[in-house]
Amino acid sequence: MVDALAEIHRVLAPGGTLVDARPDSRVLAYADRRKPRGFQRFGVVKTNRLELANDRASDRAVARVVREGLFKSKRRGRFWHLVPFSSIAELRKYLSEHLRFVHRATWVVDSATRKRHSNDSFVIRRAVRYEILEARGSPRNISARAK
Amino acid sequence: MSRAARGPVGDVGRLLPALSSALRPRPHDELRAWGGPPLVLGKRVLDLGCGDGRLALGIAPLATRVDGIDPDAGAIAAAKANARKAGVRNVRFAAGAAQDLPYPDAAFDVVILSWTL
Repeated sequence: MVDALAEIHRVLAPGGTLVDARPDSRVLAYADRRKPRGFQRFGVVKTNRLELANDRASDRAVARVVREGLFKSKRRGRFWHLVPFSSIAELRKYLSEHLRFVHRATWVVDSATRKRHSNDSFVIRRAVRYEILEARGSPRNISARAK
Repeated sequence: MSRAARGPVGDVGRLLPALSSALRPRPHDELRAWGGPPLVLGKRVLDLGCGDGRLALGIAPLATRVDGIDPDAGAIAAAKANARKAGVRNVRFAAGAAQDLPYPDAAFDVVILSWTL
C-alpha cells in the first residue's frame, strides 16, 4: 500500500490533492427499519476480521506516508451512507454475500418483532470516512525514501 | 460483487466492489462530503480503483479531464461502455495497477481513492 501511495505521489502535481475515502470499520454499521418518521434499530452489523485487519493496514500506510513527508493531512471526516432494502429477507441476502461485513446481523429486537416487520423497508446505515491530503515535496526523492 | 484481479496489484483494489456500485453513495454525495465541486472543478483528476466508472463519470462534467484506472479489465470494459452510453468525452479508462501507474510525473491535480485503499 505504501508503494501505491508513493506512486500516487509521483503522478500528483506538487500541492495536489489525494482523497482517501472508504468504509469506516472503526464504528459499527446498523440494520434499521424505516418508519414514517425516522428509523428503528433492529440490529448491528460488524465488519469481518480480515477486513478490519486490512483497514488497519491501510490506516498504517497512510500514517506512514504522512510521517515520511509525502503527504500532509488537510482534513478528515465521516458521513453516513444508507443502503436500502425492501424487506428483511433482502437485507439478509445482501449480508450473506457481502465481502466486508460479517454475514449475519446481531439483532437487538426479538424474533417476533422481526417477523412482524419482515416486509417493511430496511436500511443498512454504514459510516464512510474520508481524508483529504496534500502532496508535498519533491516526488522523486520522497518516493524513493518511502519504498 | 466481483473480486478484482490478483497478482501485482496487491491489496489495493482487491475487494473493489465494481458490480455493487449502485449500492454505494452517489458521486455528488461523496463529493459534497469531501468539500464540494471546487475540489475537482477545472482539475485533472485520477480515479484510482475506478471500477465501472461510477465516480469518474459523475465528476467528469466538473473536471478538465478524468482518468480512471482499475486492475479489473472487466470493470474497465464496463466503464468504457458506460462512458459511451453517457456521451462523456473527457474521461479515459485503462486497466492497470496502483503500484505502476502509466502516467507521467505530476500529471494530475487530484487523485481519488474511493473505497479502494
